[in-house]
Amino acid sequence: MTPRLRSGQVGFSWPRVFAVCQKDAAELIRNPGAVFPALMMVIGSLFPAFLVIVGAPMVAGETLEESGDFAESAAHAVTMIPELAGLTGNALIQTFLFHQFSLLLLLVPIVAAMALATHAVIGEKQSKALEPLLATPISTFELLTAKALTPFLFALGLSWSAVLLYVIGAAAVGEPGVWRAVVGPRLFLMFGLLGPLATLAALLVAVIVSSRASDPRSAQQISGLLILPITIVFVAQLMGAFIVGPAAMLLASLGCALLNVFLFWVGVRVFHRESILTRWK
Amino acid sequence: MRMLAGLILPGSGRITINQIDLSGADSGRARGAVGLLTEAPGLWERLSIRVNLVTYARLQGVENPQRRLDEVLRLVDLADRVDDIAGKLSKGLKQRVAIARALIHNPPVLLLDEPTSGLDPASARHLRNLILDLRSQGHAVLVSTHNLAEAEELADRIAILKTRLLAFDTPATLRTSRGGRRVVIELADSTNRLEIAIDDEAEIPEIVARLVAEGRRIVRVTPNQRSLEDAYLELVGNDR
Repeated sequence: MTPRLRSGQVGFSWPRVFAVCQKDAAELIRNPGAVFPALMMVIGSLFPAFLVIVGAPMVAGETLEESGDFAESAAHAVTMIPELAGLTGNALIQTFLFHQFSLLLLLVPIVAAMALATHAVIGEKQSKALEPLLATPISTFELLTAKALTPFLFALGLSWSAVLLYVIGAAAVGEPGVWRAVVGPRLFLMFGLLGPLATLAALLVAVIVSSRASDPRSAQQISGLLILPITIVFVAQLMGAFIVGPAAMLLASLGCALLNVFLFWVGVRVFHRESILTRWK
Repeated sequence: MRMLAGLILPGSGRITINQIDLSGADSGRARGAVGLLTEAPGLWERLSIRVNLVTYARLQGVENPQRRLDEVLRLVDLADRVDDIAGKLSKGLKQRVAIARALIHNPPVLLLDEPTSGLDPASARHLRNLILDLRSQGHAVLVSTHNLAEAEELADRIAILKTRLLAFDTPATLRTSRGGRRVVIELADSTNRLEIAIDDEAEIPEIVARLVAEGRRIVRVTPNQRSLEDAYLELVGNDR
């Protein structure tokens, strides 16, 4: 019996994109090597904040306010982080630190996207599954979209889950009112705008690097350079050099958006059908 | 094969499948008319046969992927293995899944690269019968193979390539071209065996009569044809 074909096989087809996305998602779930680094990053990014805010005072036997280490920085940060307004004493310092450490959570979607995207692309190369895939009506643009979409959604899901755990943790161990001051415009800007844009940039870099690499680890090592800027900013914040306020975050988002346009342009060329077959060895 | 499947563009000339230009804007539709079996099965090894094939059915726009999955799995005799993980299958079974994948959208054109490579004799026989069935159903099947006996069994026409196209004809014509027909005559005397090129089997009685007239004693006369392998070696040898 001849199967009937759906119309709309020409042009951009979401059903084809979703078919590859679902397949990629099913493969990623079954691939601990891809998911493990992302999950480790969630734990690794949550841990330091609670170590400083809960662990250090317990060991020292005095509250953060009593130790006086962060009091001046927290008071100074009120002008840069509006959510701190109205808080005093230990609650102010805890909220200030939760805001400072939240930058670490930004590494979750970036590391996750890189880990998942390199596996999604290099996995196809290693299993020699690209030829039959490209012999279907899928266009290279649809394939690029599909290869980016699954890791993107996975990474964002993980990132938002990590933020949720962070806020739950703040509510559980923080002074009254701390968690409400953590959930503010700064957090939404960081994980609703800057996070997705930085994730997309990481993803596109991972895809481009993966097109030339033959194993996921080497691709991740190269694309891992992307986490450097965030680490530098985080360390500079901790040292009191500056505080990333809403304006800086909007500026960084704009930079990421422009970077994404350039990376997408490069990505479409890397995903050229013939390039994939002749260079993706 | 890659060019015919629309994976790489031709350096010159033009390829059309079902009258659709493979290099044109409509190339996706042309690729949809082709079922490709690549040399390596290229399955998604962590996923089941079902997910592998249903994904391809969806990529090809098949309206009822599940029903078509059942049909193709019956064709390749894998109906009871549908939930097996592809990476755990033997090479032969992987090859059968790859063939099911090429057939999932029932394409009018099938490109099969070394389809029986690595298969056990029973699986290879099953696959050859399947190819013959597909041919009789009206599919255009292009098989690339180094197995000349297989080519002879399956093909209406054979192209012999070595960097370039050396010959393209029916198996019978390839065998008989360049003096391909022969008669082997075994003699009772010391000469023992004669092999004589002929154009037609009707020449044989005349040859036998002449030998008898010369006083030769004939033990056996066997009309013989050159094998496809002989024809191939001659063509390829001449091209060195």
